[in-house]
Amino acid sequence: MLKALSRRALFGALAATLTFGAGVAHANPATDFVNSFGGQLVSIVNSSKPLAEKKREVLPLLQSNVDIQGIARYCLGRYWRTATPAQQQKYLQLFDQVLVNTITDQIGNYQGVSFRVTGSTPTPDGERVNALIDRPGQPEVNMQLIIGGNPSKVVDMYGEGASLRMNQRGDYSSYLSRHGGDVGALNTALEHQLNNHH
Amino acid sequence: MDSRQDRIGKKATRSRRSRAIAGVLALLTLGACGSLRNPPPKDPDDLADYKAANDPYEPLNRKMYNVQMWAYHVALRPVAKAWVWAVPKPVRHSISNINETWREPAVFFSDVGAGKPRRAGDSFMRFTINMSAGVAGFFDVASLVGYKQHETDPGMTMGTWGVPSGPYLFIPFVGPSNFRDGAGYAIGQALTPINYVPRGYGLLTFNWAYNILGTVDGFANSVDQIDHLEQDSLDPYSYVRSAWQQNRQSQIDAMQNDHRATTPDWYN
Repeated sequence: MLKALSRRALFGALAATLTFGAGVAHANPATDFVNSFGGQLVSIVNSSKPLAEKKREVLPLLQSNVDIQGIARYCLGRYWRTATPAQQQKYLQLFDQVLVNTITDQIGNYQGVSFRVTGSTPTPDGERVNALIDRPGQPEVNMQLIIGGNPSKVVDMYGEGASLRMNQRGDYSSYLSRHGGDVGALNTALEHQLNNHH
Repeated sequence: MDSRQDRIGKKATRSRRSRAIAGVLALLTLGACGSLRNPPPKDPDDLADYKAANDPYEPLNRKMYNVQMWAYHVALRPVAKAWVWAVPKPVRHSISNINETWREPAVFFSDVGAGKPRRAGDSFMRFTINMSAGVAGFFDVASLVGYKQHETDPGMTMGTWGVPSGPYLFIPFVGPSNFRDGAGYAIGQALTPINYVPRGYGLLTFNWAYNILGTVDGFANSVDQIDHLEQDSLDPYSYVRSAWQQNRQSQIDAMQNDHRATTPDWYN
């Protein structure tokens, strides 16, 4: 199990996936986007600045390049409809922080990262950009970013064949179904998670 | 001499038989646990979630997951941390090489069963090279000469044949699985040569060491990820279930789409 689990630390992997340098794939808007976004991110990650400063610099970059709100709504699934507008608003604020926190957590672990874009294929959700990530002393990781929307943003990420947002949706819907579908309870749990985050 | 070998052979057969019986009993017990099965919900949205999760035995599986995580926190995690602290990286690397190499026969037969000659050839060459030039599997020489490691197990092979997965199962110390892959795991064990080594005292000790070290090493590589999973999920059980099911399906799809020629890359 644990070997399998180790292949599937998807949140963590997103950070690694995003740390892209110059790619070599056939240029198209999606691969250009990934190269540009990843180039900015990798320059921050691989710098010698303290982690806290890296986090501060990375936050706005993620917020402008990852469709955090779209992913948040997807993760709530059918419970989005049953939530009150106030609950929705609160949830979006919390999700933004949860996602950004989780990603930035991982950044310290992936210094000296390099990557190359190996190609892209169209999918119903957007252009799927394949990338190989190389971390010093670690096996190469194969990841895919789904780029969609206008302007282009990251709408999902696949690591080891599993969709990040689908895993997150499973996590939340399971929590909600065990708590009577109460989005307020989910918000409280997310707040608790953020407060305990270190 | 002959009678001694006969005795040892019988012992090994008995041991295999007892494990098979234990496995069958476990599955039968599972099937009999009617009260541990969630009935399909009436609400259409709930029913859609229920079907997507493919986990009718969720109450039982959650109990098994809790057992696993209890063992993880009280024993496996501290042991794994100590292991990483005490054992140099090259030694840990060699242990994971041995585990991979000695699993290759099961990988080979699974590749053959799936009708994937290139993959089967790769696993055959990996076993041959690593058992000889790699000193019984201590060193992964095969990767250096172009035969990269890949995983195939009988559950994946059955998946390529179109055998349905059956409901999700969480088996303590085996991990996420389902009915098909649980059966595949048992077949995989039967295809692993170390399980057929005659049970002399020295070899028995070695076999235990091999299994325990392999397990500890596997945990050691995963502690950080498990800790993150527990910290970042509201319901780690369902996160693992979703990730594992998707990962499993993608492995089967990747194998089905592997139409590489049997000649090596350098020849083409």
